[in-house]
Amino acid sequence: MFSSRSEGLALALPGALFAALVFLLPVGLLLAEGFRSESGWTIGAYVDFFESARNRTIFWRTLRLGALVTLAAAIIGYAAAFAIVSLGESARGRLVGLVILPLMISPVARTYAWIVILGRTGIVNRALEAIGLTDEPVRFLFTETAVFIGLLQLFLPLMILSLVSALENLPRDAIPAARVLGASWWQVFARVVLPLTREGLVIGGTLVFTGALTAFITPAILGGSKVLMLETLLYQRVTVANDFASASVIAMILIVMSFSANLLLRRLAAARRGARTGTIKARTLAAGTTR
Amino acid sequence: MSARLLAYAVLAIVLAFLIGPFLVIVAAGLSAGESLAFPPQGLSLRWVAKVLSIESFRSSFALSMGLAVFGTLAALALGIPVAYALSRYRLPFAESIRTIVSAPIIVPGIIVGLALLRHFVVPLDIDVTLALYAAHTALVLPYAVRVVGASLENLRGDFEEAAVLLGASRLGAFVRVVLPNIRSGVLAAFVLGFVTSFNQVPVSLFLSGPGVRTLPIDMISYLENTYDPSVAALAALLALLSVAIVYLAERFLGFYRHV
Repeated sequence: MFSSRSEGLALALPGALFAALVFLLPVGLLLAEGFRSESGWTIGAYVDFFESARNRTIFWRTLRLGALVTLAAAIIGYAAAFAIVSLGESARGRLVGLVILPLMISPVARTYAWIVILGRTGIVNRALEAIGLTDEPVRFLFTETAVFIGLLQLFLPLMILSLVSALENLPRDAIPAARVLGASWWQVFARVVLPLTREGLVIGGTLVFTGALTAFITPAILGGSKVLMLETLLYQRVTVANDFASASVIAMILIVMSFSANLLLRRLAAARRGARTGTIKARTLAAGTTR
Repeated sequence: MSARLLAYAVLAIVLAFLIGPFLVIVAAGLSAGESLAFPPQGLSLRWVAKVLSIESFRSSFALSMGLAVFGTLAALALGIPVAYALSRYRLPFAESIRTIVSAPIIVPGIIVGLALLRHFVVPLDIDVTLALYAAHTALVLPYAVRVVGASLENLRGDFEEAAVLLGASRLGAFVRVVLPNIRSGVLAAFVLGFVTSFNQVPVSLFLSGPGVRTLPIDMISYLENTYDPSVAALAALLALLSVAIVYLAERFLGFYRHV
């Protein structure tokens, strides 16, 4: 630890100034726009935004899809994380690598794969026709279902990663002990595993939820203008209507949610340093996920 | 034994869901047929060739490459000193500095792009390309600080103190003692930053002008107007590029250890 404060500040200042200038300042000005009108400061834009039934529908849809994706990711995540941890040390690294892989792939490629699969002549529709379940193609694209599937694929890895590191820290004999004492598998999960891995679940859940809320490409391509979410609504308001007031309101909603989630994660990471490595990894990768 | 079998079955399903779609799109892109379908009708590289022959992709590829390489290098140049200062000095406002440099990943990209367009490019009449470089640098800065910072935390501070006591300058100690030891962390930060910047869509959405378009944005507009296997070929090429970079990084650097 070096003592010279000015030397340390001189090192940190260029980076911090850069981020403040090209990032904080423009974003701050954009948020301020939402409170400006010709006659001065006002919250009129917020009132207008939530008075529109369409906007409210989109707001609740965004929250609902986020919650559903988080719930599904938690259920599948526990199953997958248990499977990964149970296969032992040597397979673990490789399996985690495979799970993380989709996070690194171009979101455009990722989303178009779902078009090939879910489209009118896609695999799913052809399979349904082949076994005689439908006569004409079922519409999957531009429905909430398609957006849900796309988001789940995108963010499931973050949940699995958080739960794997939580399960790794589970005392080795906790589960056998509970079994010996007569607990059913459900009781083992609800009363032993869940409380001991709660932190990993909260971390993974927060990452998945905020990720789903702030995703852009998935709802843009798989939902289109039929299934707008807050991010795609922002884009549409700006490009179609030059409506910067609404854009500023949406930006505020998304930033507030994202920042509170981040604050929660920091608290958790600070509270228990033991579980830090997994947390940091999931957080770094979560941020790297191009949505 | 049956527990092991169950574990394999669960993983097979989950991995099929996570990775299967990419295999599908690679196969569809190698189709010899006329329409976008899976399984492909015969194998050929004709659609790959078609994608590679499209003129506009070359300039947008060059722009995306430039952004990814130079944006990430700039972010490392700014971020490594920040990470070093945060880990080795008792800084006033350390927490604020940490928050400021990690803010760009907390705020959704589309907001960053719009904010830069409205309050940077338009009022100051700044070139869109320059704004793109600034945005991508800011976007990668948090990884540079975080990943390099983690490497620094793992390196004992008394190494460079010893070097300084033995007569090295502070800078000399950094270049000759610290840097060689955190090299793979720096490279991992570069790879993560490169992939993130190269795949980035929302930030660049509002930051495009005549002749200035990043590759993913260019691809989206191409995909909107096309429905033949070239779409899949294009997506497959892009996916394979990311996978190849990450695979090589993992193979030679142990990439995942650092992120």
